[in-house]
Amino acid sequence: MNKQQFINKLTESLQRLPANDRTDIVHDFEEHFEFGLQEGKSEEEIAASLGSPAQISKELLASYHLDQVDEKTSAGNMFRAVWAVLGLGFFNLVIVLGPFIALVGVLVGGWVSGLAFIASPLLLALDTLLHPQSFNWFNLFVAIGLTGLGLLVVIAMMYVTQFFMKGFVRYLHFNVRFVKGGLKDA
Amino acid sequence: MNIQFKKGVLEICVLALLDKKDRYGYELVQKISDRIAISEGSVYPLLRRLAKEKYFTTYLKESTEGPSRKYYRLTEDGRKYLYQLIDEWHEFTKGVNQIIEEGVTDE
Repeated sequence: MNKQQFINKLTESLQRLPANDRTDIVHDFEEHFEFGLQEGKSEEEIAASLGSPAQISKELLASYHLDQVDEKTSAGNMFRAVWAVLGLGFFNLVIVLGPFIALVGVLVGGWVSGLAFIASPLLLALDTLLHPQSFNWFNLFVAIGLTGLGLLVVIAMMYVTQFFMKGFVRYLHFNVRFVKGGLKDA
Repeated sequence: MNIQFKKGVLEICVLALLDKKDRYGYELVQKISDRIAISEGSVYPLLRRLAKEKYFTTYLKESTEGPSRKYYRLTEDGRKYLYQLIDEWHEFTKGVNQIIEEGVTDE
């Protein structure tokens, strides 16, 4: 691979970064090539010791998406960050995806049960409409009680979700910092 | 050496090289790759990340020959972080060395 091929490959895989970040990164690598050439190395040698542009861009994208989550913890940002960190290597598939699925499972479970509790009077109303003879006051009181409980569960889930998402983002940061990449296998 | 956890080591290397003087990217990469087998390209993402975390600042300096150089300068935060990493590193290698000694010599 020569310089132009390396730079093209890199630029191509960094499409999702903002333009000024991309220019900045490309500039760093162009600079690297120029210094290498001055020392008498060939473009091919320099490209070979830089490593694969695809792997380099994966690391850059993972950092970028994590920064996005730090700025704004939305579900979309979170998924993009998890996805980008997964891309760093097979090892991450195991140690990131597993905990992430478990976490999402627990959170979804909590939210669904909370919302179902809140909705229980509606369900009771529906049941009464469909089978008027089945109505009894006990069910109504239980449903109202569940609504109260559901509200508490949902409020608790807001805090729990926030807490776990923050924790998970920190775990992703740790992951990007320590796991995989950087040094050669040898 | 197992590659999975080598990345943290690269971080110490970069920060340590900047402790005494500012350096530019290519210089940092060469200093490290002289001693350890690395994919040189992965140093640049690391540099960006550490700069974003305010462990160092960057400035451009024109050079009489060749392109202008982007220098990295360690901040106070960066220095604190470096010393913390060094402590952890000593602690870690001490432990490993003791285990090796006990394991290998006493058999």
